[in-house]
Amino acid sequence: MASIARQSSPLLRSAFRAPFATKNVAQVVAFHASAKKQILPPLPQTIQGTMNDPAPIPKSHPTEGSYHWTFERIVSAGLVPLCIAPFAAGSMSPVMDAVICSAIVVHSHIGFHASITDYFPTRRVPKTHTFMIWLLRAFTLSTAVGLYEFETNDVGVTEALRRVWNA
Amino acid sequence: MAALRTTSRLFASSKPLFRPAAFTRSYATVDALSQDPNPSEQPRVKTFHVYRWNPDQPTEKPKMQSYSLDLNKTGPMMLDALIRIKNEMDPTLTFRRSCREGICGSCAMNIDGVNTLACLCRIPTDTAKESRIYPLPHTYVVKDLVPDLTYFYKQYKSIKPYLQRDTPTADGLENRQSPEERKKLDGLYECILCACCSTSCPSYWWNSEEYLGPAILLQSYRWLADSRDEKTAERKAALDNSMSVYRCHTILNCSRTCPKGLNPARAIAEIKKMMTAH
Repeated sequence: MASIARQSSPLLRSAFRAPFATKNVAQVVAFHASAKKQILPPLPQTIQGTMNDPAPIPKSHPTEGSYHWTFERIVSAGLVPLCIAPFAAGSMSPVMDAVICSAIVVHSHIGFHASITDYFPTRRVPKTHTFMIWLLRAFTLSTAVGLYEFETNDVGVTEALRRVWNA
Repeated sequence: MAALRTTSRLFASSKPLFRPAAFTRSYATVDALSQDPNPSEQPRVKTFHVYRWNPDQPTEKPKMQSYSLDLNKTGPMMLDALIRIKNEMDPTLTFRRSCREGICGSCAMNIDGVNTLACLCRIPTDTAKESRIYPLPHTYVVKDLVPDLTYFYKQYKSIKPYLQRDTPTADGLENRQSPEERKKLDGLYECILCACCSTSCPSYWWNSEEYLGPAILLQSYRWLADSRDEKTAERKAALDNSMSVYRCHTILNCSRTCPKGLNPARAIAEIKKMMTAH
């Protein structure tokens, strides 16, 4: 028993914190004794309130939800013609390049942001979530700066792609 | 009342007289009389591996237990096999079942890697292949094949799955609906909330505390699409956050697994369209 308790002491502690799990700590510990290798092992089940209370509705935010989704779809759909247009038209204008680059940066930022929301949930790992969000912002910013430098001091993305293609 | 009771008792005592012994049989089992109706037939023995975990022995890990059944003496469906195992081989095997015709949603489980209703899933006749039966994935298991769906039902309650109206109808009788408006609910009202789709969704696996999951969203759309409901704006506002709907990444496991042949992914897409327009 001592070895079981030591093996899964974090789980024990979380089980004690949970309001409903205190009575079956032994079960929980025994059941999760082999789950330490998982990255984010499931915690013991906790039910907030009674069985008859509805699940709480997540808070809404003006930058999340439907506007966010619509914006994301517009950027994603817009990228398809944007990626084809310069090569189809044969014109490598810097304005076009700027539009493509900013769309790609925004698109990848939204995509990675969704992955962080999925895999580092705030309710489970709030500090890691915040860290990942700031890491993503740093990456996005450095990508944007790098692309700006490439556009202003070098040939630009579309021209570079064309040269690689024809090389 | 007393007279009634006497008659009913009389009736009850006389009942066995009218029921020949040959008709009494337990559910989905083979009784001694009808065993081996065709002795020349080769037995088709198939092995079933069933997930077992007993909360009364919490120190024991979950394990797979194997049972072998002759398919000639078993009904065609997985539920028949499970009931036969429980009746004849191992009464400790625990699973939910009720209607045995795919309308109650009790016997949802993971059979050969697919979430489905045991009563609607045919036993593969290839006896060389062994079948594996698990509870619904990523659920807290109560015992053996019984998952805890408490939070699923709490989420269902959170979408207010009932008609909400403030204005009374013109004739004070029924809330009328045209056939076209009624048609919008086809493919939605048939959902039996078996949780097969929700528990097949990876996004629901990771975020089931906040993401509603395909089954609840299909129900949500059933009330959004209902022409008689007057709280569409409130319903949409309740869904307008990053978690409730937008954790759906159109993986489409839900539509693939639905044992009733419904399309929860389409309902979620319709919700997203409605939300965009609002």
